[in-house]
Amino acid sequence: MTSMGTSSFEITVNIIKTLAVFLMMVQAVPILVWLERRGSAFIQNRFGPNRVGPLGLVQLLADAVKFLHKEDFVPDKANRFLFYAAPVFALIPASIAYMAIPMSTPLILGESRFLIQGFEINVGIVFILGISSLAAYTILMAGWGSGSKFSLMGAMRASAQIISYELALGLSIVGVIMTYGTFNLTDMITAQMGALNFSGFGYTTTISWLPNWGIFYQPVAAVIFFAAAFAESNRLPFDLAEGEAELVAGFHTEYGGFKMLMFFIGEYGHMMIAAGLMTTFFFGGYLIPYITPDDVYQFGLNNFGSETAAHIFNSAVHFLMYNVKFALFLWIFIHVRWTLPRFRYDQLMDLGWKTMLPWALGNTIVTSIVIFSAAYFSISFPPAVEDVLKQIFKYFTRT
Amino acid sequence: MSVDAILFWILTLVVLVSAMSVILMTNPIYSALCLAMTMVGVAAIFVTLNAYFLAGVQLIVYAGAVMVLFVMVLMLFDLKHELQSFSRGKFTGALKIGSVGILAGLIVGAVTIGKSLTEVKAVAENAVVVDTTKILSQNLFLKNIFGFEALGVLLLVIAVGTVALSRSKGGTHARD
Amino acid sequence: MLETSFLNNIGLEHYLVLSAVLFSLGMAGVLLRRNLIVLMMSIELMLNAINISFVAFSKFNNNPEGQVMVFFVMTIAAAEAAVGLALAVSIFKRFKEVNIRFFEHLKG
Repeated sequence: MTSMGTSSFEITVNIIKTLAVFLMMVQAVPILVWLERRGSAFIQNRFGPNRVGPLGLVQLLADAVKFLHKEDFVPDKANRFLFYAAPVFALIPASIAYMAIPMSTPLILGESRFLIQGFEINVGIVFILGISSLAAYTILMAGWGSGSKFSLMGAMRASAQIISYELALGLSIVGVIMTYGTFNLTDMITAQMGALNFSGFGYTTTISWLPNWGIFYQPVAAVIFFAAAFAESNRLPFDLAEGEAELVAGFHTEYGGFKMLMFFIGEYGHMMIAAGLMTTFFFGGYLIPYITPDDVYQFGLNNFGSETAAHIFNSAVHFLMYNVKFALFLWIFIHVRWTLPRFRYDQLMDLGWKTMLPWALGNTIVTSIVIFSAAYFSISFPPAVEDVLKQIFKYFTRT
Repeated sequence: MSVDAILFWILTLVVLVSAMSVILMTNPIYSALCLAMTMVGVAAIFVTLNAYFLAGVQLIVYAGAVMVLFVMVLMLFDLKHELQSFSRGKFTGALKIGSVGILAGLIVGAVTIGKSLTEVKAVAENAVVVDTTKILSQNLFLKNIFGFEALGVLLLVIAVGTVALSRSKGGTHARD
Repeated sequence: MLETSFLNNIGLEHYLVLSAVLFSLGMAGVLLRRNLIVLMMSIELMLNAINISFVAFSKFNNNPEGQVMVFFVMTIAAAEAAVGLALAVSIFKRFKEVNIRFFEHLKG
């Protein structure tokens, strides 16, 4: 267990850091809820919460106090153990999985090197997928433990949906993994540094006005991943589990007060994992386009003088960049929720099994063929065609 | 005690207690949830053995898919506490438990005797923690490719068979 | 001193004993329980026990073959679970019960 550090200073900082990441994830939820309520109000031409604090920002604190004062209600037919355990289990997978996402360049203080993430794990993606697949238990426990038919049916729907879309999600990631050749999220981000650079078939092309982001290599995977992530986090347009018209509120029909809030945190946690992974896989993670971390470090060194300050500046700037991208995806999540209508259940299953799964499979196959042939074959064109191609490349690669 | 040892003992405790609960709980849903806990514990044990990728696969396949299926089916059946969850007969029961105990004792005895007879080379003890994922994939796709393809065919057959089985109306002797 | 070295130095035999105990628990489940689905869960338990010993051997002999074997075991276990559950569902549809006591008349 050397990953926690060698000296007592490193171990202390690492433990505090892990706690801080967990708290960050939990603390982001009130802000997100506020954003969601204000955003939906903005979209629907209403005001939204605007009474408590500036712009209604303190509304969630008031809500939390209200939640704590609610009666701790358990339905008569509920299974008490599962009923109480489910909200707690809703928090665990989301928070553990979120910790594995790297959020900035490693912070170097003297001899020690701290990663700006809860912990690094070499098979990051597999770990995150595995942990977040445990979320299905929460839903089933809540649904069955409530002892209500609406809860049970909502839970069945939600877990069937999560299992179905996990296939498309996992398969879309396979193409990404093959492109980068690694499971490690930090390595993936470093692979996206610099300008867009295709090499293969005996040619190398650099397009200097585009960053080397994953979305240019795997556009299909990006679309499938994002759509499946909506389904995984049970958000509209895939929140069949909570179709008010037929199922009251799905698996958390019987929940109220603070237990309900914990489900909320779990759901937003899944949303945050999806946004973080989207950033990491397809949009360069914490990297700033056109600038490498070394440039930022040099800038810090020139302006602040000391190396420690430059390292801190480097990490802070990249952390900010990560959060900008992250917040953008979270906003898309919220915007889509208030823009699109809900699917019908058979449409949902059709989309998952008959559209997204074949496309993800096809993407995997095409990616593997292209990667293999780009590495082992080289194409030679007749001189006239090559001239034309060079002209086209020149157009795209102009500076 | 080193961190590795503490981890191992905690995980052993978790795995064994939840495995015990699987066979002792009278409500099958509790059994299934305990089995899911066991799977997570086994995944953690894989991590202590440096098999990170397998740990992830264990989480995805076992804990995330197979056990969710079990739990879903059980919840659909909605069996309450069963009247006869254990087999009848005190004598046969004792015999069964005894034979299982003898089996466990035999294996444990064999392991300890084998340890004293042959000194297992402690290669991995001091070796650097290498990423076994790449070696694993090379072995899987270069040496064992036939088995891998056969598994693919097996999965296809299973998928078709399962769909056929669950859609059938009860075969030739169907009454309803 | 012997006690602490047993507690401290986690070696191959620790994992093997753990695997053996898990396997025996699974076997006890198969022998003692009467619910079809709990029987299948006990079988999964036994397969997991085998996986632990495969991975332990693989680590302590520096041989990746053991981990490849675990892959195969996992795939087959998943397939077995799928077929078993489909059978259980059709049996439940037929008999409204998954306790093996109630369909003894499948004999002959």
